[in-house]
Amino acid sequence: MKATFITLLLALSLPLGLVAAADAHATSLDSVAEVAELGAHPTAHEIAEHAEAVLKHSEAVAKAEGNKLTKIANKFGVTWPTLIAQMLNFCLVAFVLYKFAVKPIAATLDERQQKIADGLQYAEEMKTQLAEAERERAEKIKQAAIDAQKILTESREQSKEMIEQKTQEAAAQAEAIIRKASEATELERQKMLSDVRQEVARLVVATSSKVLSRDLSDSEKQTFSDSAAKELAGTAS
Amino acid sequence: MKRDKKIIRLAKKLVELSKDNGVVTVARVGEVLAGLKQVQHRHHLTVLKSFLNYLHREIALQTAVVSTPGALSGEALKAIEVTYSKIYGRPVTAVIKQDTSLIAGVRVRVGDDLYDASLAGRLQRLAENVS
Repeated sequence: MKATFITLLLALSLPLGLVAAADAHATSLDSVAEVAELGAHPTAHEIAEHAEAVLKHSEAVAKAEGNKLTKIANKFGVTWPTLIAQMLNFCLVAFVLYKFAVKPIAATLDERQQKIADGLQYAEEMKTQLAEAERERAEKIKQAAIDAQKILTESREQSKEMIEQKTQEAAAQAEAIIRKASEATELERQKMLSDVRQEVARLVVATSSKVLSRDLSDSEKQTFSDSAAKELAGTAS
Repeated sequence: MKRDKKIIRLAKKLVELSKDNGVVTVARVGEVLAGLKQVQHRHHLTVLKSFLNYLHREIALQTAVVSTPGALSGEALKAIEVTYSKIYGRPVTAVIKQDTSLIAGVRVRVGDDLYDASLAGRLQRLAENVS
């Protein structure tokens, strides 16, 4: 805004500058034309004389120009006191405008521009953060999928191992049960055989006792007893 | 408890006093009993019971009970007495006891020791070996 105001001032003073420049240009063109009128190979003295003449001519031209400007100014009603007063008025108005209108407006505009810039920056940051968050989310989802797959694989392996282990345990238990049953059957068989043997032996002994008691005569019994007594005496000694 | 030990010791000494050449005799037992009667021990009845118990045991150790279903020759009986006297180092007297369950043969008991040469015993051992 400040720059705009300065540009405006420059634009207002530009026509006066252009008029002055056009006059100076016309004067220099006249001097060049006079130099061109000299011979092909002028001497130093000629050049000095010519320069002095040009200088005088220039002074004359300047005086004539001053008179011309004064005539124009008078013709258009431009006088120094009015011009100075107008310039002062212009500067005062410009200062007041700058102080009480342009400056607050510029401050407000700057503040708004700053806010907009901040908002844009914030939006940019948010966009970046959103992109970052999106990327992190995608990474987390990917990682979660990998972890889930890993957990699933481990679970499958564990379940497989557990099934295998349980199968082995069941087989071992079944084998142990079969072995115990076999042992129990064998023990039962042995016990039955032992019982049968005992019963047979008991029957044999009982039968033999009865038969011997009935069939042995008294003399035979005494003979057996004597021999048994001698046997005991012989064995004991 | 202390009193019981003393009584037991006394009973054993009385049994030793009842022996004549290592053999319990009726005469020596009578003398011991007469002496006890004179002394009149405080626990007279207990001493007598204990003495009787140890006397039975001593007599059992000096007696070989020969169980047999029928008669036994004197020669066999003598051989048993000689043999067991030699084994136990004291005079052992053989006494015959009828036992028809033995079928044939003899069974000798000396104290807690048992020697079996009977037919019933052999059959019983046979049955035990079979089973």
